[in-house]
Amino acid sequence: MSGPGIAAVAAQVAVVTAGAPLLAGLMRQVRARLEGRAGAGIAQPWRDLRKLLRKEPITPVGTGPAFRAAPALLVATTAVTAALVPFLSTDTPVGRNADVILVVALLALGTVALALAGLDSGTAFGGMGASREMTIAALVEPTILLAVFALSIPARSTNLPAIVAGAVEQPARLASPAGLLATAALAVAVLAETGRLPVDNPATHLELTMVHEAMVLEYAGPDLALVELGAQMRLTVLLGLLTSVFAPWGIATGPSWAALAVALAVFVAKTALLGAALAAGEVFWAKLRLFRVPELLAGSFLLALLAVTASYFLSGE
Amino acid sequence: MSEGTYTQLLDLACGAFLLAAVVVLWQRKLTAIVRTFALQGVALAALPFLLGLHEARGELIAVAAGIGVLRTGVLPYLMRRALDSLVPAPVTGAGHRYVENVSEAWETQPLVNVAASLLTAALLTLLAYAVARPLVLLGPAPATRALPVGLAVMLIGFFVLSTRRRALAQVVGFLLLDNGITATAFLAASGVPLIVELGVSFDVVLAVLVLQILTTRMRTAFGTTDIDDLRELHD
Amino acid sequence: MTPLASQVWLAVPVAVPLAAAGVHTAFRRRALSAWTGLLSPCAVLAAGVVLARAVLSGGHPPTAFRGVLRADALSVWILLVVGAVAALAAAAAPAHLAGERAAGRADAATARRYQVLVHAFLGAMCAAVLAANLGVLWVAIEATTIVTAFLVGHRRTRASVEAAWKYVVICSAGIALAFLGIVLLYYAARAAQIPEAQALDWPVLVAHADRLDPAVTRLATALVVLGFGAKAGLVPLHAWLPDAHSQAPAPVSALMSGVLLSVSFTAVLRCKAVADLVLGPGYTRTLLTATALLTLALAVALLLAQRDYKRMLAYSSMEHMSLIALGAAVGTPLAMSAALLHIAGHGLAKTVAFCASGHVLQLRGTTRIGRVRGLLARAPGLGTAFGLSVLALLALPPSGLFASELALARAAFAARFGWAAAAVLLLVLTAFAALAVRTAAMLLGDVPRVGAGPAASGAGVALQLQPAEQRLGVPPVAAEGTPQGPYRPAGDRPGPARLAPGTPAVPVRLGMAAGLPLVLGLAACAALGVAAGPLTDLLSAAALPGRP
Repeated sequence: MSGPGIAAVAAQVAVVTAGAPLLAGLMRQVRARLEGRAGAGIAQPWRDLRKLLRKEPITPVGTGPAFRAAPALLVATTAVTAALVPFLSTDTPVGRNADVILVVALLALGTVALALAGLDSGTAFGGMGASREMTIAALVEPTILLAVFALSIPARSTNLPAIVAGAVEQPARLASPAGLLATAALAVAVLAETGRLPVDNPATHLELTMVHEAMVLEYAGPDLALVELGAQMRLTVLLGLLTSVFAPWGIATGPSWAALAVALAVFVAKTALLGAALAAGEVFWAKLRLFRVPELLAGSFLLALLAVTASYFLSGE
Repeated sequence: MSEGTYTQLLDLACGAFLLAAVVVLWQRKLTAIVRTFALQGVALAALPFLLGLHEARGELIAVAAGIGVLRTGVLPYLMRRALDSLVPAPVTGAGHRYVENVSEAWETQPLVNVAASLLTAALLTLLAYAVARPLVLLGPAPATRALPVGLAVMLIGFFVLSTRRRALAQVVGFLLLDNGITATAFLAASGVPLIVELGVSFDVVLAVLVLQILTTRMRTAFGTTDIDDLRELHD
Repeated sequence: MTPLASQVWLAVPVAVPLAAAGVHTAFRRRALSAWTGLLSPCAVLAAGVVLARAVLSGGHPPTAFRGVLRADALSVWILLVVGAVAALAAAAAPAHLAGERAAGRADAATARRYQVLVHAFLGAMCAAVLAANLGVLWVAIEATTIVTAFLVGHRRTRASVEAAWKYVVICSAGIALAFLGIVLLYYAARAAQIPEAQALDWPVLVAHADRLDPAVTRLATALVVLGFGAKAGLVPLHAWLPDAHSQAPAPVSALMSGVLLSVSFTAVLRCKAVADLVLGPGYTRTLLTATALLTLALAVALLLAQRDYKRMLAYSSMEHMSLIALGAAVGTPLAMSAALLHIAGHGLAKTVAFCASGHVLQLRGTTRIGRVRGLLARAPGLGTAFGLSVLALLALPPSGLFASELALARAAFAARFGWAAAAVLLLVLTAFAALAVRTAAMLLGDVPRVGAGPAASGAGVALQLQPAEQRLGVPPVAAEGTPQGPYRPAGDRPGPARLAPGTPAVPVRLGMAAGLPLVLGLAACAALGVAAGPLTDLLSAAALPGRP
């Protein structure tokens, strides 16, 4: 039980919770500037959340516990994930429990909770959104599992801190075919999981195309605030996971306060950079038609599978 | 070249080789498919080149050059020529360009849809690994360990051949099959003897030429290159 | 045999047909007489005879060109069959081409292209038969696919383009699998420290079989059987066969069906010789038995419902190839010699059947069985030849196929293959019935308003006329020297006869040019059934392909 370890966990949760709306704001701002608009500023999502939190809580008639519990469950699972994934340090008290499978399961739990809430609301859009979300999730979850699993083979462990620490020591692992394939697969999966282009358009309210927005259409007030926060935190966590696994430089591997401070700065910079790059890319992409989404996801699943086979067989163990 | 770099580069070439086959499955536009096939040729030519450098054998580097010319130059050229003869050139009129009939340029409706094909490709890759176990066990080395990649590309080629409906897509399937076998030959035993290699390359070029001519005739006789329209002969 | 002599005689079967193809390409202006096509088959036959003497005299088998070409008893046997069938097909070609030209489907350029491609085809087949290097063998067999593609698609109609496309795609892809198998064998050989230059020579592989890795050889053998099996018309990649055989010109169909299938099967036999030493005979036996039974069942099922006589003959080829495969599966010397005899008998009988069916097609303009009624009445000579060739294919004595099938059954029961033999017997009997019924439908029956024909009432008798060769051998005088084609009604209307409605038909006579190859083929097939004669030694030597 080291001081820096506990502090790292606390800092991870705090940075993700506080930083998630800022990241979303940053991405919207980048996009606005590239499209020639002034933009609302980086802090706008926080202002939206504050506004929503002040409103009176309302739930639609006929909804049950699934609808009411979902926002809290979403934020809670994401917060636990934020604590587990080694964003800042691989040497944390919870490190031993930070298994890949657990992380993916927690993320899936949040997805399922939200989909159930969409069904529970009883409206046509809620059900449609839930069904689409599940279609995507059915392909995305195995992809994430496989991609990270491909990286776990050289580390001989599914423990995330062990994988990241191994990658910090041997950067060559990442330049192997397995590493490159897994990166590509995970990137596509993260886009799908967080409901970004080209899988889902986060800015749309057109009923024929929306996925995530359709599920949360019935939420209002503080519940909506939690759902929005949860979604932003998921984006941050998944982008953070991507950076930690494939660009692990700067992450503290020992109990040192200085390393922790450096890691904090590097993490914020890396995630902000990735988010900005993603936002810039989205300007140039169009949303895929819904029936081509499974093709994209099947492709990323295949990449992940190839990564696993490549890392298992080419390494010659 | 150190052992480590050699292994890494070889693995990278094999990865690119397999990836190109997968991308062929994902593409629908025939020109893009042909381009991907040409890129795969680069990865294929890299294999004998790397082996030649590693084993210090000059003739393998010459073979690599020949393979490169054949697979990235001649064969894609032949297919592009067939494609040009099928798809009328864009009509450039008063400020607008359009292609009269684009249906020949697209793999519109493969027998197995793209998502399912990609998942099948995943299964085929696993099958290739399973089948290749005795091969890898016979002579463990970085090259033989990559043998399943050649087999997987071969299986994917067979799959493309049997599920795609455009005549040219089938030709690409056949060539993928052939690429896979050539890669297997290089990875397993640094290539077959030169006389056989020459004969095989010659046969492949001729086969593609024949298929190209038949594609044109098919277009004349049937008005399309959709294989599903070939229903004259049956029992 | 001196090294120089073996170089020359091994080169002749490959070089002469290729040179002939070259000459035909060069003579653009004036088409050579179609009879010159007989030269290269005769050269092949001559080389076969010389090589057979050399092989049977003992000593080292003749090799040439640093071991690339090599003759042993098996390859010489197949070479002789190729030569004989090619000679028959070449002899039938002038009549066929004349008929096509008379019908306006061919001109001088078509005839020249036909000669070029057929000679290249023959050269490639001979190269495949004589190659000692499995890679060269593969290249030669793939070359036959490419060369024959245009022969299959020569008519440019929808059906023939479709047939050519299926033929090239399925055969090339199938045979690519065989190449993978060869690559794997090469890998196993290299891992067994066999030097690179010899690692694909099957005699070397046979000699060093104990050092090959069994697991890799198992995989390689399966691929080779699958791949070359595709070209030999065995399941599962057989779908091209009925299409290609029904669309090719009749003499080419005869070559493809009569010998190309067997040449591809020889490649399977070469690999089997290696695999049996590495894995024991059980593995290839299971593989080949399963393939043969499936092919046979499929061919019989499709024969039962067949309405097209060229396709019927194609499926009959599949039936016979499966019998040959079964003989190879049993593998005892008796079964092997039965299979080899079957190859020869089937090649001859099928050549006659296809050439006759080509004349029927030219005469009646259709390949539907139902529309070719009363053939014996319309064209007694042609009908008899076709009927006799089908009877030979049905393995009625004195056809060579009778002897081979009898020997095959004996070998199968002796080798405890009783259950397979019983199943095969049942299927072959079904095929027998199907073929007999369809052929009878073609041969017998009335042609409307042809009451005057001599055979209309006596058709059933004509089938049983045993010395039919003599009947046919009488040269029909009227047909001599007709420029338009081989057919000429005994009346004085020239050109291929189509019945105008209402006109009484006059029996069509088969010309000398068209009839002679058919008669010769039937005679050879019958002779083979009566006594193998001087070929007996060669046959028994060839039945041991495992001997390096």
